[in-house]
Amino acid sequence: MSGIVPEVGDLTFEGGIGRIDIRWRARRPYRPLVDHFAVYGSPDPRFRPSPETLIGKTIDTRLRHEGLGPERRTWYYRVVTVDAAGRWSRPAGPLRASSAESVTVSGRPVAVVGEFDRKGLELALSPNGYAQYPARFPDGADYLHGVSTPGADWPYLHPGPADRWAGSRAHTFRFRFDLPSAPEADLVLAMWLIDTHASIPGRVEISCNGTAIADVALENGATRGSLEGDATAPGSPLKPSVVELPVPASALVTGRNVLTLHKGEGSWHAYDALGVFDPA
Amino acid sequence: MNEPSQWTPNRRDFLALAGLSATAVALGSGAPAGATPGGDRVPADPFRLGVASGDPEPTSVVLWTRLAPDPLAEDGHGGMPAHPVDVHYEVAEDERFARVVRRGRAVASPELAHSVHPEVEGLRPGREYFYRFRAGGEISPVGRTRTAPAPGSGVGRLSFAMASCQAWYHGHFTAYRHLAEEDVDLVFFLGDYVYEYAINSGNLWRQGVSVGPAHDATVRTLEQYRLRYALFKTDPHLQRVHARVPWVGTWDDHEVQNNYADAHSQYGISIEDFERQRAVAYRAYYENMPLRRSSLPDGPDMRLYRRLSWGSLADVHVLDTRQYRDDFPTDSTAGGEHTDPGRSILGERQERWLDQGLRHSRATWNVLAQQVVLAQIDRDTGPGRTFSMDQWDGFTANRDRLFAAVRRYGIGNLVALTGDIHRHVAAELKADFDDPDSATIGTELVTTSVGSDGDGAPTDRYTELWLANPHVKFYDGRRGYVLGTMTPERLTSEFKIVDYVQRDDAAPVSTVARFVTEAGRPGLKREA
Repeated sequence: MSGIVPEVGDLTFEGGIGRIDIRWRARRPYRPLVDHFAVYGSPDPRFRPSPETLIGKTIDTRLRHEGLGPERRTWYYRVVTVDAAGRWSRPAGPLRASSAESVTVSGRPVAVVGEFDRKGLELALSPNGYAQYPARFPDGADYLHGVSTPGADWPYLHPGPADRWAGSRAHTFRFRFDLPSAPEADLVLAMWLIDTHASIPGRVEISCNGTAIADVALENGATRGSLEGDATAPGSPLKPSVVELPVPASALVTGRNVLTLHKGEGSWHAYDALGVFDPA
Repeated sequence: MNEPSQWTPNRRDFLALAGLSATAVALGSGAPAGATPGGDRVPADPFRLGVASGDPEPTSVVLWTRLAPDPLAEDGHGGMPAHPVDVHYEVAEDERFARVVRRGRAVASPELAHSVHPEVEGLRPGREYFYRFRAGGEISPVGRTRTAPAPGSGVGRLSFAMASCQAWYHGHFTAYRHLAEEDVDLVFFLGDYVYEYAINSGNLWRQGVSVGPAHDATVRTLEQYRLRYALFKTDPHLQRVHARVPWVGTWDDHEVQNNYADAHSQYGISIEDFERQRAVAYRAYYENMPLRRSSLPDGPDMRLYRRLSWGSLADVHVLDTRQYRDDFPTDSTAGGEHTDPGRSILGERQERWLDQGLRHSRATWNVLAQQVVLAQIDRDTGPGRTFSMDQWDGFTANRDRLFAAVRRYGIGNLVALTGDIHRHVAAELKADFDDPDSATIGTELVTTSVGSDGDGAPTDRYTELWLANPHVKFYDGRRGYVLGTMTPERLTSEFKIVDYVQRDDAAPVSTVARFVTEAGRPGLKREA
C-alpha cells in the first residue's frame, strides 16, 4: 500500500432487492493513473481486503454487488484504488450498506404464478420452447388464479415487438385473481425475471383493472433465458432481475381483478415467477 | 553524445555493457534526462512479447520492447517485479552486431508495464539497421528496422504493407506469417490491434488454443487492457512482423470500445467514467506500440496524429478519426444531421494540421494512413440511400473540406489507406460521389482484416452493397493484407488473401487483385 495513490471519497450506497449499488468519488484519477478500483466486502465489519473478500474491479466509480438473495442483507465495503504501477491506496471505508427485502419474503402471497426461486422451469414451454408460443398463445397468456396452472397457462417467455418469431407485434398477458374484499392499503406486484434480452429488453406497461400503474423499463439481461431456465445452475449465463412495485388500493376491487402486462417495446423477457402480495 | 561508436562489441560485450556515458536514459523513452537508474534484477525470459520499431525518420527510429516473463499474468504486469529495470539497447549496421552505431539505456518502469520506447538518434538516412535489447543477463531477439530517406531526396521506391483488425480469437495470424516474408520498408497498421470483447466459446474460433476465465470479460480496466495486448502479442507471426519491419500505426475504436466517439461511449457509460476508461486504454496502447514520446498519453488524451516523409516520394499523414470526432447524430437519415457543416471526424485542430500538411507538401504522393472508409458508400441497393454514421459518411462536411483542400493545393496523388471493415476494397475518391463522371481526385485502398470475422469468403452478403457504388472497383471477404509499391511513376497495390484462418496457420497466400494508380492520374487500373 502507498500514500502516493489517493483513496476514494464519499462512499455511498443504494440498496435494492438482492443487490447493493456502491458509489464513490475518485480523486485525481490521472496522477497517478488509476488502473482500477477494487471493491472488497463482507458481512463482517472487521474484514480485511483480500482475494477472498474481493467483490469486483471496475474503472467506474460505482459497482453493483448482486446475488444477495431476497432477504435484507447488511454488508460492509472497502474500496482500494490500484494505480498503473500496481500500487494500492489505503482502503476507503468501511461503508455499511443493506439490500432491500423482497415482498416475497416479508409479505403474504395473495395470488402467484410459479415459484420465486430464480428458475422458470415450472412455466409453460420452458426452457426453450418459444417456437411453439405463437400457436399455443396466439392472444398471449390469460391466467386465472386457482384454475390455471403455470406449466400449461403461463409461458416462460413474454415476447415483444422486436421478436420476429412472435409476429413482430406487442403481446399482452393477463393475470386474473379474486379478492374477498377491496384492500385498504396498496398491494405489491412482484415480477421476477430470470433473464431479458441483452440489448433491447424493452418496457412493460402494467395496468390493474384498466388503471395504468407503471411503465417499467426492464434491465438488460444476457439473451440466454430463451434457451435455458435455471439461473441457479453453476456458471449460469442468465442475468436475473426483479421488479416489485405497488398496486394501488384504489385500483383494486372486491371480487375479480385483472392485472395486464403489455409488452409494447423491445424484445422478450423470461419469467421466474409473478405474484401479488399483501406487504402488511 | 550519441556519436557513432568505433567499438564493435560482441554478444559478451553487450552482456557486460552497463552505465556507459553515452547512454540515453529516461523513463522508458531513452531520452537523455538523467533519470533514476533502474535495477538489473530481471526474471528469466523477459522478452516473450518480442521487439519492435516504428515511426522512422531520416536519422532516427523508435525501438520498443515490453518486459514480460509471464505475459498472461492476470494483474497485467507480465510477471515483472514492481520496481524499475534497466533495459540496454544497441543498434548496428549488421545482423551480427559487428558494426554497432548506437547504444543506450532506458528504464522500464511498472508505471508503463515495463515497456521502453527509446528513440535512437543520429542514424543515417535510408538505411537498414539491426537492434537488440538486454535486461539483466537476458538478451532479446534481434530486430530489423530502417530509417526514412533524407528530407526531400529523390527516392525510387517505397514498399509497404497494410494490415488491420486482428481479432486473435477469430483465427490464426496466417496473414502475418506470409507478410513476414515480404520485403517491405514499412507496415501501416490501420486500427483494431486488440478487441475489448470477452473471449469465450462463443467467439473463440481460433482452433488449437484455449484461454482462461480472466479473458472472458469485457475489457475496461488497465490490467485487462494490458492482458489483452499480451494475449494478442503472444502470436509468433505478429511478433515476427514487428521484429522485421518498422510499423507506423494508428488505432480505431476497439483499442478502447466499439464505436466510441471522443468521450462518448455507445454503451450508456457516463462521460466521466468513460474518460477514465479511455485513459487506461490509451495508456495500454502506448505501452504496447513502438511510438515516440510525443505520443505519451496525458490522462485521457494522447496525440497520435502525426506526419512522416519518405524523401520527395511521399508524405504520410497518420490520422486519428476517433479521439476528436463528434458523436453519432441522433437522426441518421440520409442527407440529414450527418451533413451538418459543423460536424468533424478529425476535430478542429487536426483538420487544421492536415490542411497545413497538404498545403506545404511537395511530395509526389500524399498518403492518409487512417481508420474508417473515406469514400461515400450508399448501403441501400434500392432506390433509397443509407450511410454509415461511423465512417466518413457520418461527417460529410469534413470530407468536403478535405477534398476542397486537396483541390485547392493541387494535391495530384492522394491515397487513403484504410482498415475497419474486414474486407478488401479498392475505390476511387470522387469530386462528387453522386456523379460517376465527376473527377477522380484520389484512390482509397482498404485492407481486410488479419483475423477478425474468421475464414471469410470471396463474396458475402455485403458484396452487392459495396459494388453497387460505381466508384468501388473491388471487393473480397477473406483475410489478408495489402502490399503497396510506390514509385515516382505509379502506385501498385496487391490484395493478398488466405483462404482460411480458423483451423490453423497453414493456408497459402495468393494475390486476388492487383491495381495500378498512375502518378498524376488518380484512380485504379486493374492489372490482375
